[in-house]
Amino acid sequence: MMIKRIAGEAWVVLGVLVLTFLLLHLVPGDPVEVMLGESATQSDRQALREELGLNRPILEQFGLYITKLAHGNLGYSIHTKQPIADLLASRVPATFQLAALALAIAVAVGLPLGIAAALHAGKWPDTMASFGSLCLSAMPHFMLGPILMLIFALALGWLPVSGMDARGSIILPAVTLGFGLAAILTRMTRASLLEVLNEDYVRTARAKGLPESQVIMRHALRNALLPIVTVIGLQLGSLLAGTVVTETVFSWNGVGSLLVESIEKRDYPVTQACVLVIALVYVTVNTLTDMAYSALDPRVKFLG
Amino acid sequence: MNLFTICYLILCLFLGGCHRPDSHGEIRFALSQPPLNLDPRYATDAVSERINHLLYRSLVAFDSHSRPIPDLATWVEDSPTHFRFSLVSDSIRFHDTEVLTSRDVAATYRSILELKDSPHSAEFSNILEIRSLDDRTLDFYLKRPDKDFPSRMVLGVMPAFLITQGHDFAHHPVGCGPLKFVSWQNALVLERLGDQQRFVLQDVKDPTVRVLKLVRGEVDLLQGDLPPEMVAYLKGIKTIQVKEIPGSNFSYMGFNAQDPVLNDVRVRKAVALSIDRQAILRYAMVGGSREAGAILPPEHWAGNADLIAYEYDPVSAKELLREAGVGLPLKLVYKTSTDPQRVRLATIMQSQMQAAGIDLEIRSLDWGTFFNDIKRGDFQLYGLTWVGIRTPEIYRLAFHSEDVPPRGSSRGRYSDPVLDKLIDEEDWQGATRRIHEQLPYVPLWYEGQFVAMRSGLKDFAPRADGNWDSLATIHY
Repeated sequence: MMIKRIAGEAWVVLGVLVLTFLLLHLVPGDPVEVMLGESATQSDRQALREELGLNRPILEQFGLYITKLAHGNLGYSIHTKQPIADLLASRVPATFQLAALALAIAVAVGLPLGIAAALHAGKWPDTMASFGSLCLSAMPHFMLGPILMLIFALALGWLPVSGMDARGSIILPAVTLGFGLAAILTRMTRASLLEVLNEDYVRTARAKGLPESQVIMRHALRNALLPIVTVIGLQLGSLLAGTVVTETVFSWNGVGSLLVESIEKRDYPVTQACVLVIALVYVTVNTLTDMAYSALDPRVKFLG
Repeated sequence: MNLFTICYLILCLFLGGCHRPDSHGEIRFALSQPPLNLDPRYATDAVSERINHLLYRSLVAFDSHSRPIPDLATWVEDSPTHFRFSLVSDSIRFHDTEVLTSRDVAATYRSILELKDSPHSAEFSNILEIRSLDDRTLDFYLKRPDKDFPSRMVLGVMPAFLITQGHDFAHHPVGCGPLKFVSWQNALVLERLGDQQRFVLQDVKDPTVRVLKLVRGEVDLLQGDLPPEMVAYLKGIKTIQVKEIPGSNFSYMGFNAQDPVLNDVRVRKAVALSIDRQAILRYAMVGGSREAGAILPPEHWAGNADLIAYEYDPVSAKELLREAGVGLPLKLVYKTSTDPQRVRLATIMQSQMQAAGIDLEIRSLDWGTFFNDIKRGDFQLYGLTWVGIRTPEIYRLAFHSEDVPPRGSSRGRYSDPVLDKLIDEEDWQGATRRIHEQLPYVPLWYEGQFVAMRSGLKDFAPRADGNWDSLATIHY
């Protein structure tokens, strides 16, 4: 079953690769023009196009790309001439680090707020949590980032504005990235917990005289977690997509900023490699989410 | 809840560990873009070129009027196709301590002629042969006469033995400039020869973030690439000093001369008269920006100070359009990049043109698409800037009828035998007058240059073309 599932995911990744390859070759802008500039002669352009394989039919180019990929060869950056594997190796850890902390912040903020809102439904904690989550989910990263910089870096002086080298420099980008997901988690947790709190088994637990904390944590929250885990899994994809903006704003040298740079420079091989990494992470996380789902609820089987 | 508690504790630890930034004696420079390639044979982006100018030295430099002057070498024109260069000293050393000789110069220029993928190869394609006579002397033989040949000899010289070894200059540059390469991880670290002053060049793309970092002291200086309101904001901060000077980078509005409406000079003049440059310069540009009459500024040796700028006159503009038999309002499409400042300027011009009966539609496109459209001639009007232009050869490249893309940069496909003749005769005064009359471009302005830096820094003067040569002198 697992093999069948992995094969299915491989098709998804292949589909992403085909789409990315086609889209990149359809958009205007020629890497040869970007590299050689306007003063180059036609013969120079033609020679470089041949060297890069850009003069071949698009299907042949795609075939060559897939063949190389199958051999683990991601190719070279057209502009910096560096092996793309090296470029990714230097960038992927930074993005994972950022996404992991953002997820931790989202869970640390979203779950307690959602629980508080559900337990005090209709009262001020609920109103505050709902209002806060609405504001945060409506606020784009490029706006939230500078606001946080103004408060925590400039006004309070606690954190660096941006960059990667100073202590604590990961916090503001991670908070920027994580708050959007925290808002969604708050609302999801609230809704899911409210539904579970009205179930018979919760009433039974309370009737047994269990402390309220045990009722919430062991009986209600565990059952409410199922849809929340699904949301976390699905939102991880958006979290990675969010790094594109957040990394650019915060000068965080990860895959997101590499993707933006490569698109600007029409560095096709680098763009394809970045999209491949993001697609791989996305399908892997989705699979792991399904596996976690069955672990949380034994009635659900991981069928692949 | 244990997991949550741990998360909160980690956050608190991070917060507790944070403090005000400390430079450790380095001078930190915020860049709007990272350098792409520190190999002078490949570098084309402005950031790489500016850094390479500090890492490497070239045979020739330029004076304040953009006339070529000796840097590493003096030269003699033995014949129209033969130039002899002599190194000014036999004790110039590369950063790896090797002595620079004429063989290094020859190897540098030979290698660029051999490279297929160098954007600069075409500039040197007129070189027939390079002969190194002794340690200090070398000859360049040309295929065709070129009296401006010394002006082209601005390529950074690299050590011959490293070129032979295929050294990765792009990421580990070795030159003989005033600054040497130290490392390049998240930021590029350079060190000044002599006093070992270190420079950390950080890429901070967002202009707001660059300003915040300067204000907070996370960087020490930044130059250019800020909207005027941020420069004004920085001027009001006590710990920051802002210096502004007139720039030489030429911004213009280009016409498509093959467009049935815009091939009439009266319509082009009407467009020129419908832009209030003075108002734009006063309210929407950084200090030091000034009206432009031609690509090369008046102080350039081939500049023309007699050109009178087109004043804002929407009434005359409307009259010209009526004379040309154009139905009003005249609908025109203006293409520009997505740069917020460019879009803002386009919006101002759009508003000004309404008074002249011109209905300007702005299309803001990503750089690749925009530039591709311009080169293909798929536009009516567009806005661009010529950066770091040194020689009047630019007039041939931009306006000669034989230099339509892909061969040259005559993007508007303008064809004028009178102008072609003036350019062929190298009558630059006449050519600039003709261009000013016929308006294949509407000259807009030379954008001012500025530097914003922490108040303790001294001896950094911005340069008219935006280069960073003052890093060789700046200090606390």
